[in-house]
Amino acid sequence: MKELKENIIQRIKASFADAKERNDFSDNRVDFHVKKETIPSILFYLKEEMGFIHLSHISCVDWLEEGEFELVFIVWSPVDKVKVFVRTRVDRENPVMDNIDMIWRQANTYEREFREMFGIQFTGLVAPDEFILEDWQGPPPFRRDFDTAEYAEKTFWNRPGREDAQDVRETISGRDGEEIPDFAKKYSR
Amino acid sequence: MINDKHSQKIVDYIQNWSRKHSIWVLAYGTGCGAIEIPPTMTSRYDAERLGVRGAATPRQADVLLITGYLTVKTLKRVIRVYEQMQDPKYVIGFGSCTINGGMYYDSYNTINVLDKYLPVDVYINGCMPRPEAVLSGFAQLQKRIAEGRADGAAQYKENLEWYRANQKRIIPNWVMPEYNW
Ligand code: SF4
Repeated sequence: MKELKENIIQRIKASFADAKERNDFSDNRVDFHVKKETIPSILFYLKEEMGFIHLSHISCVDWLEEGEFELVFIVWSPVDKVKVFVRTRVDRENPVMDNIDMIWRQANTYEREFREMFGIQFTGLVAPDEFILEDWQGPPPFRRDFDTAEYAEKTFWNRPGREDAQDVRETISGRDGEEIPDFAKKYSR
Repeated sequence: MINDKHSQKIVDYIQNWSRKHSIWVLAYGTGCGAIEIPPTMTSRYDAERLGVRGAATPRQADVLLITGYLTVKTLKRVIRVYEQMQDPKYVIGFGSCTINGGMYYDSYNTINVLDKYLPVDVYINGCMPRPEAVLSGFAQLQKRIAEGRADGAAQYKENLEWYRANQKRIIPNWVMPEYNW
């Protein structure tokens, strides 16, 4: 298993100069970071040359503090039983990414989701504008700077009395003389 | 039709009595609460002894059970379903989500207060309410029907503009048919 992993790492590194390996202790997992321009070619290479024929997942992480979105493509080889994570970063202000649905058609669904939920544009993506949300008027809701509570209060009325529920735990602990540590107070509603 | 006050009273009484014993619920589940309906309907709690049973289409149904949170997308369908139902029709709000948003109160796509959009006759609280609570909700509805106080549909007709304004506020692309009831 170890040699297999080493072998895969060496092959990817030999073909893609910008592929930076990230430490992963699991024997059947390989983790790479590449520039976003490399994504279509590295995924195509993995699929056609190295037998990673299955696209398990694409996920998106919002690194708000760093001003970037991270896209993680997870591919799987049923022969080697190895997973490869290919990560890339996209600028948050102007998130544009290459479309990869000609490599795996199912990527289309993920890309529609990211377009709707994170506002990432995929060049050349052919799909209807709406995915899950209908008549959505706000900003992309999965971005971390989108305040859902505030939006919900503005859009859907809150019934008065809801505020009471916020310090249930404090009320109970006050009655029983229970100590709540400071770090937990934040979550006590 | 009947001008005499006393005969009208008797007719109303008979009408409400029969309505209260045949509450047909539309089989339409939203949110997580719908999972409590099968035990309520089947042999353990046997709601049919109260005359409560499932109906296949909105036109055959008397009660619309809103079993939990409603996304804006579902609300659109629910409004359509409600407007297709024929009189007498009642709405039961089921679970905290319909009352004040429940644990989805800060979700970006679920409504918080159901009675701004549809006239609710009975609320059942709980997250989710157990079948006993559901049955007591139905009993409450029966009581209200018998007293002639379950008049949500009439209110909806009367205050249609107010309801429509609320509905259109969160559903900007209004492409629904107008029913001429
Ligand atoms: S009240 Fe609770 S059980 Fe019912 S829909 Fe809301 S979260 Fe689910």
